[in-house]
Amino acid sequence: MHAITLRSPQALAPVRRGFLRQNLPYFLIAPSVIMLLALIAYPLLFALKSSFYFWNLQVGPQPLAFVGFDNYVQALNAFDFRAALTNTLILSILGAAIEFSLGLAIALVLLKSLPGMNVVRALLILPTTIAPIVVGFLFRYLYDPGGGLVTWVLRSLSLPLPAEGILGSPSTALAAILFVDIWQWTPFFAIVLYASLLAVPDEIIEAARLDRASAWTILMRIKLPLIRRTAIIIVMLRFMQIFNTFDTVLVLTRGGPGTSTRTLGYSLYEQGLVNFNVGLVSAQTWIAVLIVNIIVALYVFFAFRNEEW
Amino acid sequence: MTFDIVNMSRRNMLKSASVAALLASSAGALVAPRRASAQDAKTVRVLSVEDPFFFSMKAMIPEFEKETGIKVELESLSYDALQTRLVSAFVAKTSDADVIAVDQMWLGQYLDNGWIISLNDYIAKDSDINLADFIPEVLYSSNMWRGQIATLPVAAYAQGVMYRKDIFDSFGIAAPPTKASEDWTWTKYIETLKSLEGKFFGGKPLFPTVICGSQPSPITHMFTQLSASHGANWFKSFPGAPWDFSPQITGPAWAKSVDVYRQLYKLSPPEAINYVWFDAGTRFAKGDIGMFYWWTPYFYLVKNSGYMTGKKSDVMDKYATAALPKAKGVAQTISLGGWSLGVPSSSDRQDNGYAFIKWATSKATQKKMAQWPDLNFQFSDFARKSLYEDADVKAIYPYLDVQYDMMKQGNGKITRPPVPGYTAVESVLGLTLNQLLTGSEDPKTALERTNSLFESILKGNLMIPYQKESYADTLDGAKALIGKLGKA
Repeated sequence: MHAITLRSPQALAPVRRGFLRQNLPYFLIAPSVIMLLALIAYPLLFALKSSFYFWNLQVGPQPLAFVGFDNYVQALNAFDFRAALTNTLILSILGAAIEFSLGLAIALVLLKSLPGMNVVRALLILPTTIAPIVVGFLFRYLYDPGGGLVTWVLRSLSLPLPAEGILGSPSTALAAILFVDIWQWTPFFAIVLYASLLAVPDEIIEAARLDRASAWTILMRIKLPLIRRTAIIIVMLRFMQIFNTFDTVLVLTRGGPGTSTRTLGYSLYEQGLVNFNVGLVSAQTWIAVLIVNIIVALYVFFAFRNEEW
Repeated sequence: MTFDIVNMSRRNMLKSASVAALLASSAGALVAPRRASAQDAKTVRVLSVEDPFFFSMKAMIPEFEKETGIKVELESLSYDALQTRLVSAFVAKTSDADVIAVDQMWLGQYLDNGWIISLNDYIAKDSDINLADFIPEVLYSSNMWRGQIATLPVAAYAQGVMYRKDIFDSFGIAAPPTKASEDWTWTKYIETLKSLEGKFFGGKPLFPTVICGSQPSPITHMFTQLSASHGANWFKSFPGAPWDFSPQITGPAWAKSVDVYRQLYKLSPPEAINYVWFDAGTRFAKGDIGMFYWWTPYFYLVKNSGYMTGKKSDVMDKYATAALPKAKGVAQTISLGGWSLGVPSSSDRQDNGYAFIKWATSKATQKKMAQWPDLNFQFSDFARKSLYEDADVKAIYPYLDVQYDMMKQGNGKITRPPVPGYTAVESVLGLTLNQLLTGSEDPKTALERTNSLFESILKGNLMIPYQKESYADTLDGAKALIGKLGKA
């Protein structure tokens, strides 16, 4: 026979309070986790499922068959998708590297107490506030072979330009899109790196100068190591952003001439929102997700392997 | 090979909407459809592309509201955004429109999927729509699918030639003919252009012509006029039954068309490689192009210095129109396209939707749209025969005889077949053509590769072998349907 002990509601109260106190952090964070799962994990998992089906909205509104890895094979065999992958990697790696280098140079200039620096700082942020599609239209005019400013400047410098225009030649079109990105986002690096450099203690710099360290040595041995974490994170962020380049490509070249400026973002747009091939675009999305995550994971591993967090 | 059709539950619908949202966030281009709010029955929501007809139609809407007491909520979108919005909304069953603008190539997809309704019953019961006034070739090309009239044309486009009278006179070049003839061939067209090569006019260098080079749709729209003129077909058997979508783009007509198109590009401004529809069209308005062919809306659009700017162009009083050249020994086929209006099956105000369509496509409204003076008179895309003979309208648009002749030689079902899956193959064709303009690849090799890609896509999309019922889609059948519905 079991003995049954009955507790009064009052006796249960301390237990409940203890349970609440112990699990309060989980209760507080739960809404965020649920939102995160609903808005990120669920669509990604659903896209993963869709990638194994033949599902084209032009043919029918429903998924028609399980096709295994066919969509992945089709995506990787398509020469335009492979070109898009290559172009995207070129843009992302070069873009992030050049924007960081130029941004750092501008940030170092901003540190100097030169006249008019306040105005320069205010103007610097302007390009990043413009929507990429507007920037695309702006540069469509600037690159115009019949009198665009960029074309005119390059011609004035006696640089050889293709007859088809900067955007019309496979040899210059991708560089032109890269230049647009650099124009728009270098100031972002400059502002963030400038803020980080301001936090570098003056005493350390002064001490180095007293030890007759050169400006280069101060930069490489003191300033850069002290802003390293910020630099690593913003380079990573920009890499991921450039990886999704779409708006400027749509406005400037629609991926052409040929496949010379096709990016993954543009390919996803075309397969998903023009051809409505949900299965194929889901596979392409997952290929892109995997690639970007592998690159970022490797980058983070090597960049932070000696760091303590 | 058989497939299990998965029944689409509400949950799956929501899932598909989530996928669409995911894809959109990747591409950053989806304009989310607005849910229909509780609107009274005396309202009609119209979703349209912003082609020239939109502006004059919008100006007439107060008259519709006054006549019917129905309030119009009109919204416009760009070409790409419109189809994205419509398909996403149809799949998620969240369409908020009672009337939608439908491009010619989308018709088969929209009707086969049940996204828009057939207007047969509405038309049969309507004693004053005067169906017989519509040009049969237009209704056949843009509005009919499987014996149903699913839309009515609000702006019908053909393709024709525009040239500079003053330049031709100045160099003693014979004007191209206004009527199609065996002598007016693409070879003759190229010869005429070459006589302008290297010339200066008014102190400025001339380009003999201009083409559209941007992929995928713009270049395909211009190129397929050439290929249709040369007798090229996309598929083994379509629109005649039995439907067989085995691609046929390796034939000599395709190779010849590519060759002619490349010649035209060499005679164009080199930057035309990136030109979309209105870049090519409005380039002529800048004054340094001798002659080009394009959609008939440019017969009036070139009066403006830019696309719908309202600012008169330099060529406004210096250009004329002409018949489209043909290939020797091949019966001419003109590319017909344009915009039509349809009623989504999800609309709960379909009567209002039909009332709006009937009004917008009526002779009276179309004439008023043509007479709307703003922006230098920007509408002459008539689908009704009577308007091509209307003296008031002809006084504003003197080229209507040329345009009407083009319309009567039209067949949009051959030039750009409105079959489900069209945009997927168009993407491949557009990319190939764009590559061929600047590359040195042999057209035959490129077309063979493209044919193979077509086949792969069409097999993947269950179009080869075709698994649904075929339909003998002929112009004679269309005329019979027009007669039957018109008399009902």
